[in-house]
Amino acid sequence: MTRTFNQSLMLYLGVIATLALILFPIYWLFITAISTSAELSALPPSFWPADAQWEIFARVWEARPIPTWLMNSMIAALGSVALSMVVSVFAGYALSRYQLRGGHALGLFILTAKMLPATLLVIPLFAVFRNLGLIGSMWTLVIAHSTLIVPFATWMLKGYFDTIPRELEQAAMVDGCSPMGAMVRVVLPIATPGLAATALYAFVLSWADYAYARTFLVNAQDNWTANLGITTMKGEYVTDWNEISAAAVFVAVPVIIIYLFLERYLVGGLTAGAEK
Amino acid sequence: MSHAKMFDLARPSRQHLLGYILLAPAVLLVGFIIVYPLAIAVDLSFQDVRIPRMGRRGEFTLDNYERLFASSEFWMACWVTIKLVAVVTIGSLIVGMSTALLVNNRFRGRTLARLGMALPWAVPEVIAVVIFAWIFDSSFGLMSWLFVVTGITDTMIPWVSSPSAAFWAVAVTMVWKGFPFVSIMVLAGLQSIPADYYNAAKVDGASAAQRFRWITLPLLMPVLGVTLVLVILWVFRDFSIIKVLTEGGPLRTTQTLSIMTYDQAFGFHNFGYASAVGVLTLVISVVASMFMLGRGTKAIY
Repeated sequence: MTRTFNQSLMLYLGVIATLALILFPIYWLFITAISTSAELSALPPSFWPADAQWEIFARVWEARPIPTWLMNSMIAALGSVALSMVVSVFAGYALSRYQLRGGHALGLFILTAKMLPATLLVIPLFAVFRNLGLIGSMWTLVIAHSTLIVPFATWMLKGYFDTIPRELEQAAMVDGCSPMGAMVRVVLPIATPGLAATALYAFVLSWADYAYARTFLVNAQDNWTANLGITTMKGEYVTDWNEISAAAVFVAVPVIIIYLFLERYLVGGLTAGAEK
Repeated sequence: MSHAKMFDLARPSRQHLLGYILLAPAVLLVGFIIVYPLAIAVDLSFQDVRIPRMGRRGEFTLDNYERLFASSEFWMACWVTIKLVAVVTIGSLIVGMSTALLVNNRFRGRTLARLGMALPWAVPEVIAVVIFAWIFDSSFGLMSWLFVVTGITDTMIPWVSSPSAAFWAVAVTMVWKGFPFVSIMVLAGLQSIPADYYNAAKVDGASAAQRFRWITLPLLMPVLGVTLVLVILWVFRDFSIIKVLTEGGPLRTTQTLSIMTYDQAFGFHNFGYASAVGVLTLVISVVASMFMLGRGTKAIY
């Protein structure tokens, strides 16, 4: 394609303007954190603080239990991702390789499970967890986040396994490998990028949860996740926007980093389930 | 392990057995954490329960559903949900489509531009709310200031606490969070369209608009359909954005079915009633998506 100079210029201007508009809220969060409170309550607002207070990050990190919140979010994410991935890898593989009776129905069900509103599922889960005496424990999140992860992970992994030719396992089995051995030693290594993508996506899902954490852990302050903790900093009438913005930066940064470096894998996962 | 062959899983007739064994953990887990709870929820919706106790069930009753259909709150929540679904879906579609078309052009730095366009996707919903709650702040928020400066309004708008404006604050936040998904999907769709089609059309003298209308749009339709349904379902289900930004208020103007379900259960301890709202929400969203996808449904499965 050839473009005139003017067309190129328009394209670049368009891209830059759109990007600026889309990314502005993220920039604004950052600016809000480092502005002085005097600047925050001034109009017109200042788009770059005259006197940036960088120490806000250190102050919030110490004043609020942010390390604990982040750690809890991490535990919930790692736990639920580990649990979900183990069962989803096996199930995805079985759905991809075997014509099982009821396999299609199960696939359909798993797909519809993605439609379940968390606000509905949270009700019976609350009843079950209370009965088991689990309310307030991190286990509630490991289990509840698995309800979000297993359906999509199974489907996504099935998609990945479908792209790996069966001939590979057949060759391995001819060489004396058991079907299980062929899967573990031949297919899984090839599927590593797919496994990584699924696990990452699952991590982002778990990290973003608020509904379950709020319901099960609201009275267990030591187990608050980052998202839950942050919302408690938002007051009904008065909010310290410096502090909450700085805290929000801490919560957003891990996923933004994952996204920036591994976007290719995440996007692959996002489109895999819905395309074709 | 494969050497001690108690029963040989490599034999063709045993192959299926291995399939079932591999599937079993997922079936058990899904059964325990999704199907069983779902059954409890449906069961609860037919009982007059305030706080559920396992093993002690109330009498079967249709009271919850009768009360529901008679309550103006429910119909209002339906209306808010429909409005929000329409606004957010259309908004995300327009922004998502245009950003995708923009970065689908070939230019230097395109990879970086794509990365930036979809960045809001990675921002957790609660964080997005923190950002927009400040932008929509009633006294010093940027949005109100912009409205005053540009002369749209004379005074600052208390976005989140105003019954007419709160809806738009929620909608804008959701579009910002939701459009990258559309953008990503459309971009993937665009790249699967062979360049030959465009070249051939150009040889025949088709304008850019004609190429978009007769090549891009029809070939994008399948992807667009699925994307649309997924966005709609997301708005239906969403809890965090509305709950943290407005709590469904003021005067329930942002209370969707999802928020109503939650508040009835955990705010007012009407678990039976809440389950009824939730079950209906699920039914509506399943029926709506089946209807929208129609025959296309098979294509995704």
